[in-house]
Amino acid sequence: MRFLSTLKFRTKLNLGICCILVVMAVLLLTLVGNMSAKLLIEENKKRGSALAQSLAARAVEPILAQDFLRLKNMVDEQVAMGDVVYVFVQNNRGHVLAHTFQKGFPLDLVKANGVADGDTVHIQLLANGAERIYDFASPVRVGVDRLGTVRVGLSKTRINASVHRQLTTMAGLFAGALFLTTIMGTLFARQVTRRLATLREHAEAMLMGNLDTQSGPDVGTHCWERMKCGLKSCPAYGDTRRRCWYIAGTLCPDCGDTKIGDRQSSCQLCRVYRESAGDELQDLAETFDVMAISLKTHIEELRSAERSLRDQERLMRTILDATPDRVSLVDTTMRYQGANLSFAASVGMELSELKGKTDFDLFEETVAEERHMAARDILQSGRRLDTQLRVVEESVERWYHVVCIPVYEEDGRIGGLLRTDRDITDLKGYEKQLIQAQKMESLGMLAGGVAHEINTPLGIILGYSQLLQEDVKEGSQIHQDLGIIEKQAKVCKKIVADLLGFSRQTDSAKREMCFNNSVMEAVSLVRHTFKLDRVEIVTELDDRFPVIYGDPEKLKQVWINLLNNSRDAMLRRGGAIVIRTRLDSPSGIVSLWVADTGEGIPADKLGKIFDPFYSTKPVGRGTGLGLSVSFGIIEDHGGQIMATSPVPASFNFPLSAEGEERGPGTLFEVDLPLDHADTGENTKANKPETGVTGNE
Amino acid sequence: MVAATGKVGNGWMGRIARWAGMVLLLAAALSCAGCGDDEPVVKVDLNKRERLMAPKPLEAITYAYLPQYSHTISFQRHRALLKYLRTATGLPLRQIFPDTFDEHIKMVQRGEIDISYSNPFVYLQLAKVGATAFARSVEPSGKPDFRGQVICRSDNPTIKSIADCKGKRWIAVDPGSAGGYLFPLGLFYDHGIHLHDFAEVDFAPGPGGKQEKVVLAVHAGAYDIGTIRKGTLDVVAQKIHRDDIRILAETRPYPGWVYSARQGLDPEVIRAVASAMFALDPDNPDQAAILGAAGMRRIIPARDEDYEPVRELVEKLGIQ
Repeated sequence: MRFLSTLKFRTKLNLGICCILVVMAVLLLTLVGNMSAKLLIEENKKRGSALAQSLAARAVEPILAQDFLRLKNMVDEQVAMGDVVYVFVQNNRGHVLAHTFQKGFPLDLVKANGVADGDTVHIQLLANGAERIYDFASPVRVGVDRLGTVRVGLSKTRINASVHRQLTTMAGLFAGALFLTTIMGTLFARQVTRRLATLREHAEAMLMGNLDTQSGPDVGTHCWERMKCGLKSCPAYGDTRRRCWYIAGTLCPDCGDTKIGDRQSSCQLCRVYRESAGDELQDLAETFDVMAISLKTHIEELRSAERSLRDQERLMRTILDATPDRVSLVDTTMRYQGANLSFAASVGMELSELKGKTDFDLFEETVAEERHMAARDILQSGRRLDTQLRVVEESVERWYHVVCIPVYEEDGRIGGLLRTDRDITDLKGYEKQLIQAQKMESLGMLAGGVAHEINTPLGIILGYSQLLQEDVKEGSQIHQDLGIIEKQAKVCKKIVADLLGFSRQTDSAKREMCFNNSVMEAVSLVRHTFKLDRVEIVTELDDRFPVIYGDPEKLKQVWINLLNNSRDAMLRRGGAIVIRTRLDSPSGIVSLWVADTGEGIPADKLGKIFDPFYSTKPVGRGTGLGLSVSFGIIEDHGGQIMATSPVPASFNFPLSAEGEERGPGTLFEVDLPLDHADTGENTKANKPETGVTGNE
Repeated sequence: MVAATGKVGNGWMGRIARWAGMVLLLAAALSCAGCGDDEPVVKVDLNKRERLMAPKPLEAITYAYLPQYSHTISFQRHRALLKYLRTATGLPLRQIFPDTFDEHIKMVQRGEIDISYSNPFVYLQLAKVGATAFARSVEPSGKPDFRGQVICRSDNPTIKSIADCKGKRWIAVDPGSAGGYLFPLGLFYDHGIHLHDFAEVDFAPGPGGKQEKVVLAVHAGAYDIGTIRKGTLDVVAQKIHRDDIRILAETRPYPGWVYSARQGLDPEVIRAVASAMFALDPDNPDQAAILGAAGMRRIIPARDEDYEPVRELVEKLGIQ
């Protein structure tokens, strides 16, 4: 059976035909041979009987007349007929009167057969060696009188030979039929296999992606040409690749409202169908073509959908990857199905590696356990998670806003979880700063109010102490005590003035002023004192002498504050202070830098140096208001002040100014606008903003 | 069939069973091819041949009937009579069958026929070679004489009478026939018609059955007229329709057929045979059947003188 199934269709067909023919031939030849042999023998028996009886009738006269010549002629003329072996005539006493044998008579024959008086003929099969002979004995009678017997011998061997001839002829005919049917079968099978091969080739081509094959024959005359309908809106109109009965929604009046499935039966009566439809193979090929066309259409639709999907995915991926939030999706088994770049970067993996991983593959055990439990809760409850999470990463505190929502399938089941971790550390910082700023604002207002109220009594104390000094003798104990009271009252007044300045409750007197002069005035005031502390002041002023709009006294106070601050940073070891000014005409800004070779400020404290009452100096050395007041004055001038520590190399600290014991140093930068138009007089003294409070 | 009766569990077994069935069927068909050769056979050897010994001829008194009919009819007519004669006389009588009238005459002359039963015309010739008449038959009509007949086709419009026979084609039985030639020739002669007046005169081809052949020749239209012995039409009644043939004329009666003995036959034999013949009684049903088969009513004694009218006719016509 396996062998049969591997055979080619043509071979199978031929084999089948040959088998049928051979079996038919064997059966028919056997049966027909047998039947015809029997029939032929019967026929020959009848013929022999008729011959014997005829001879018996004809022998009457010659026997009566004792005419042996006529008898001899009569028997001899029978032997001339092919299968008659012998004829002889006996008289009523058994004597042979005439016979056809040459040279004597075989006496065996006389008694080999006989016929009773009442019978017309008796047939006996004789065997002469291999030869078989039918012996017919017929009585020669006149009325009831028996004159003798006629004996005729017909060769059965020759009958058999004619049967064989007949069988040979039939076998020849069968062989011819076999040959013809094999040729016909081959031709037929070739036609079928050729068409099947075309179908197979096209199927292979389809597998290779070529859907433009045509298996069916050319359509020939199209339906719209045959019907002359002119219905250009009909879907079949102009379709040269499909038969109209494969197209739905044709508008031909003969088509009716039938669907494609019913079309085959309803189209049987259509003229177009009757003239164009082919056999089953053609139907198959045409259906194949229609399938290829629909497949092509579907594939194109699929490709288009796929393209659109890919575009959407790319867009989605871009959006997801653009966000700094960490977005991830896990399925119900807690395995990651997708994430964005931010998430992948946070766990130190490629996006492609993430799929299928669990929290335990990505995070350390405690974190993973936490995430896992949270996810399991949401999967079970279906409630969304919305919380803020504090995480310490490498000893740095970070805050995250975590949103985790269940993702529902079409059937309402939870199919996974979408988790978003948004970094809100900065936001948290701002929040903290805002609270501090509000606190500082309240404190400033309180301090301002208190200073304003204390200022008048202090003035009275100072005035009276001075008046009293005039009343007492100079150098006396009372005069010295009053001098101490006056001095301390002046210190208090200075503190109050600073507080008022910080809260900007003092009036400002702004005018056009030379920026360099203001700086040089301040430097000349302190240069001598600083020298005593071994502090050298180096000035590198812009020689273009920029002019700004400002309050010269207050700005001078700022410069002196900065210089004092720098001197205090030297911790009495001595060093150098560099003051540099530079005009940036295009930006409309004039900048001042004050750099020192002091101890510098630690990074974590840089952000707080402009806060009021913040001081690193010992108690009694500073009020903690110097830089705060400076900040307030600069802000009042529409500028900004920043501190950097240590001094960056880009500052190009002049070598001549460097002392032996040089520290990291601090650099203050003050930027003031040349234009005074936007310097609001009403600007309040606020807590410094993030952008102006130094560097990180 | 195995497939039909056996409960075959699966397809594999079913296929085996089907194939087996087909093979069995084929085998049965093939075995039928061997049938039919079961007839009993007698073994002979056709090569073992011997020269045939001639049968020893039996001594017998030969009896011959002038072959006016076929040998078969001659045999059938006289078979019973001969059997009776053999029984009645105790003599070994045997019928022999000469083919022609001439042969009959010559056999009598040669002594091969001992007792001859012939027509009066042939008898005249036998008498010339020494034969002697001793008995004669009485016709079924009851008369000891018989006639000849002239016949034609019933639908022949040209022949109405004897005179119309002139110029016609005539078939007669035999130049030696009495009723079939001689008597009608006398009739034509009496009507002034001679042999040369006919367009054609032919005789029926021999041997034997000549009377019937004349009737059949006329019936077939090969000849216009034919002449036969009266009574022949009854003989051929099985072969043709009686109405197809018209009897145009009959001759005068002449003495009937005659038994004659050859010259030199033992008179005792003649006497014994004659007396046995005469003893046949038409009233005896058995003997009447014997006579009837031979076409006679009875057999009566005869003498040579009884045939003078025939002799005269022969002389008148100038025939030898």
